Amino acid sequence: MHCKRCERQIWAYVEGQLLPRQAQALEAHLRACAHCQRQLEAAQATARVLRALPRHRAPANLSEQVRRRIAETPARPTLDWARVWRRVALAPALGLLAAAAWWGWYAQHSAPSTNTVAADSAEAFVELHEQLELADWSPSPTPSYFISTGYTR
Amino acid sequence: MDTLSVEARLVERAKAQDETAFEQIMNLYADRLYNYILRMVGNAADAEDLVQETFLRAYQGLPTFDGYASLGTWLYRIATNLCIDHRRRRARRVPTVSYSLQEDEDGEPAEWEFPDLQTPNPLDAALNRELEAVVEEAIGNLSPKLKTVLLLYDVEELSYEEIARVLNIPIGTVKSRLNHARTQIQRYVAAYLNDAPVPPRGQARK
Repeated sequence: MHCKRCERQIWAYVEGQLLPRQAQALEAHLRACAHCQRQLEAAQATARVLRALPRHRAPANLSEQVRRRIAETPARPTLDWARVWRRVALAPALGLLAAAAWWGWYAQHSAPSTNTVAADSAEAFVELHEQLELADWSPSPTPSYFISTGYTR
Repeated sequence: MDTLSVEARLVERAKAQDETAFEQIMNLYADRLYNYILRMVGNAADAEDLVQETFLRAYQGLPTFDGYASLGTWLYRIATNLCIDHRRRRARRVPTVSYSLQEDEDGEPAEWEFPDLQTPNPLDAALNRELEAVVEEAIGNLSPKLKTVLLLYDVEELSYEEIARVLNIPIGTVKSRLNHARTQIQRYVAAYLNDAPVPPRGQARK
């Protein structure tokens, strides 16, 4: 075994995580290598010190300080999240509205048979949907509703 | 009732605006988080501020805490992120003591004395205190990645799995970082013992 490999395994050895065969190989190397033996002793000392490091206690008034900071903070973020949600939801809603308006305009100008477009944008949407599917004006070999709208005109 | 279900109930009550439940959560974790944060940032004033901030963030985040992670894992994650942000804000580099011991360095001095740490002698207590200071300093000089894993495993006694969840990294990465961190500290200790085999108390280290 080389020193480099030994050093890589020292902590597994200290923790008792090596297989018996690996541990024996490492011990054989340690008997012959003063350098690695010293590294092992340093690792054992380190492990002992790490386990016994003093634990620091939080300041006694910690929870009081946290309560004060909570009180100073204006609102709980549930409200913020609700606001974010409303904004996120607003974007597709506006998009739909714009699309409905556009389809309404399109129906009035390009499809004379439906010049009585319903005032209700939802109805207009349904009508135009049907028209666009029936109208075979897409240059695409496999007419697609989504591809043909907008890009082929 | 086990710890997890006790904590889950506390979280549910705290979510329902039960202030005493949140107080209990703070009591459960204040010392652990403070101990961790103090070693992460290295000074008491910042640690106190950051542990307060951790609980404040936890309080604000309670409505979105889904209970998928354990309460402890979640709190350590908040604390870790705050400590790393804190370090970034203090990007001014403070010169650190270097023993010229890089993570991947292999060479060590050829001949040196090593005290037998297993044999009790009157200087053991003094040596242990000195070693403790060396280890604390070595921890302070670890990179945040290595320090986080070392503190969570060796000091806070979280499991590999818990640390993997706190840091959102694979367990294999946790193990390899832990090994790097320990090896680095071990080299500080070895160098210290080489420089001053029987250190007089209070002697300044090189």
